[in-house]
Amino acid sequence: MRKGLRKRNLVGYGFIAPALIFYAVFFGFPVVFSLLVSTRRWNMLVPFEEARFYGFRHFEYLLKNELFMRALLNTCLYAIITVFVTISLSLIFATLINKSKFSVLWRFLYFTPIVTPPVAIGTIWNYLYKPNNGVFNHILGSVGIDPVYWLTDPNTVLFAVMITAIWGGIGSSMLIFTAGIQNIPQAYYDAAKIDGAGPFRQFWNITIPMLKPTILFLTATGMIGAWQVFDLPFIMGKNAPAKSIMTVSGYVYESAFQSMRMGRASAGAFILFIVIFIVTIFILRAFRKGGMSGYED
Amino acid sequence: MKKVFLVILIVAMIFSISAMAKTHLVWSVHWTDFQVDGVKDEDGNLVTKGIQQYVDEYMALNPEIEIEIQSVPFDEYLKKILISHTAGQVSDIYGLYSLWGVQLVESGILDNVPAEVEKLVSENCVEAAYNGSMIDGKLRGIPMEIDNYALLYNKDILAESGFENPPKTWQEMAEMASKMTKRSEDGTVDRYGFAFLSGWDSAVVHPYLSLLYSLGGNMFNEDFTECTLDSPEALEALKEELVLFKNGATDPAASVYGFASGKAAMIIMAPWYETSLRISFKDEYENKVGVAPFPYLKTPMTAGYTWFLGVDRASNHKKEAWEFLKWLTFDKMENGASRLGELMALNIAAIPPMKFDIEAYPDELDDLYTSVFVNELKNTISEPNVAQGQEIKTILMREIVEAWHGQKSPEEALRIAKEEIDEILEEFYF
Repeated sequence: MRKGLRKRNLVGYGFIAPALIFYAVFFGFPVVFSLLVSTRRWNMLVPFEEARFYGFRHFEYLLKNELFMRALLNTCLYAIITVFVTISLSLIFATLINKSKFSVLWRFLYFTPIVTPPVAIGTIWNYLYKPNNGVFNHILGSVGIDPVYWLTDPNTVLFAVMITAIWGGIGSSMLIFTAGIQNIPQAYYDAAKIDGAGPFRQFWNITIPMLKPTILFLTATGMIGAWQVFDLPFIMGKNAPAKSIMTVSGYVYESAFQSMRMGRASAGAFILFIVIFIVTIFILRAFRKGGMSGYED
Repeated sequence: MKKVFLVILIVAMIFSISAMAKTHLVWSVHWTDFQVDGVKDEDGNLVTKGIQQYVDEYMALNPEIEIEIQSVPFDEYLKKILISHTAGQVSDIYGLYSLWGVQLVESGILDNVPAEVEKLVSENCVEAAYNGSMIDGKLRGIPMEIDNYALLYNKDILAESGFENPPKTWQEMAEMASKMTKRSEDGTVDRYGFAFLSGWDSAVVHPYLSLLYSLGGNMFNEDFTECTLDSPEALEALKEELVLFKNGATDPAASVYGFASGKAAMIIMAPWYETSLRISFKDEYENKVGVAPFPYLKTPMTAGYTWFLGVDRASNHKKEAWEFLKWLTFDKMENGASRLGELMALNIAAIPPMKFDIEAYPDELDDLYTSVFVNELKNTISEPNVAQGQEIKTILMREIVEAWHGQKSPEEALRIAKEEIDEILEEFYF
């Protein structure tokens, strides 16, 4: 009996072995290696074995460094605001579009930014934000508001990039919400209508609770992606003071490939990993009651 | 008997194949398509040679050598060197920005320059380029390009604003730039009198260094143990830059690239920008583009930087690599110029660092654009080859930009830059 069980277990392990090996090679090893690199002073030009041991001084440096701490704050603001606004707007749009006449056309239009490379998006929005002939300042000017130096003013650059990111992110979230909304049984809405619930009450009491697993999924994946943001701030924020637009990934990139400080870059990446890990755990816990039970059912 | 014959045949074949195998050299460059493949007309005919044509010429002369050019954009170039070293895929030859040189030398990446090559360089090279290729008092490669800075101005805008001549001093320039700035009704700038470019380290740091040098200041003490950005000269240089922001001549949204579209009346630029301007202004180029020496504060001075050719110490073909470089940079053609000199003068539009190359192209290097840069070589100080040069340059750029934005006073910006830079120097020079 025991022998049979052991054999069965072995077969089971055999089946999951490819996934485990893949996980170990492409996730486990880089994480362990990056932790190891973070304890060395290494410029990639000498063999890693020759790199000087540096203890946890890179971590100490980063946690005292004003630019890195600002990068953490900027990334945190970026992640919270873009994810919250993107999910809220895409939920509203998905609800509105779901029953509209040209829902397929609307979905197509909202989805278009997803297939556009971030570099192209960043470049186009750079033009829209131009101080003297950009579309946004033209609109502001037409209602008597003074022009804004969107991408160079340290007070506006991060928000300008967030607006672009939200615009670019609505499409995919909306598509997922649409699929979720279409899975909510019509009977719930019919019953609510009989009880006298208006469209807002139906949205608040039926649509949102039923979409909690979807919201959980989008929040968790959105947060993970947003904390790693690199492309749009890199493309759009070049002319602004670094402290107003630097993100953790940008800092890591610069440390590694401009300053040739792989140890510091790895320490930064490891801090980012820990932050994302904590945020994800927090989100999963916060949603456990509604969201996780939705999955568990 | 048959078996013995077969073995002999196989051994002979192995020997003859290995004898036929060519020496393969890999050369990493940061040049773009036309600089590598040459400039071609609409029918695909070669108008100006690129580096590939010279390499082909060398390979024809030396059939046992095969040279592969790997072209990587400037922004990715350092990354390519780092990653290829980690991966064990080193190039044999590099064209290197001297600012990166210290790290490469300290990590043992660069081969020592052979004595005969060193002698040729010291005899023929202009001083600024020679100094730019020196690291820790030793020549680390063959200078291939020297760049310095001058003032570019739009002749039409100057004339329209009532100015007959370009400014000579920084103060004159600031005054003129303020008058040349045009604003629209809503207060936005239609045309800047002067433009920097805040996101590009060279466009921020090099004009600042030029001003600092013009005041007789320096960024470091002689042995790189201290950053001297707390000197009165360093502060004055930054304050003089800020005059342009205060008098409305420029703002942080301005860009040097606005010059080509008439959005900026004056900019500080390097010689390699000529080709882009010729393309942008087309037939109007000579009527509109003017070049003048860098507007100085106390004495005429400008910052410069160097690119040099080096050989990787890990290369299996160092001798062949140096032979090729020697041919490229010192073997003279009929007009007395080297191939590299011809490439710089005719294709890349940079100043070749060898004196004989400069003399061989009077038409190209003594034209309205490049002649000013060539004349200013005597007033050019190469940016210092200091450890972590790129990191230091980025720190200084950030603090200058903070001051431009009014986020920090010039005193505070320079104090923070000095503190951070001193920390780096302490790591490498103590």
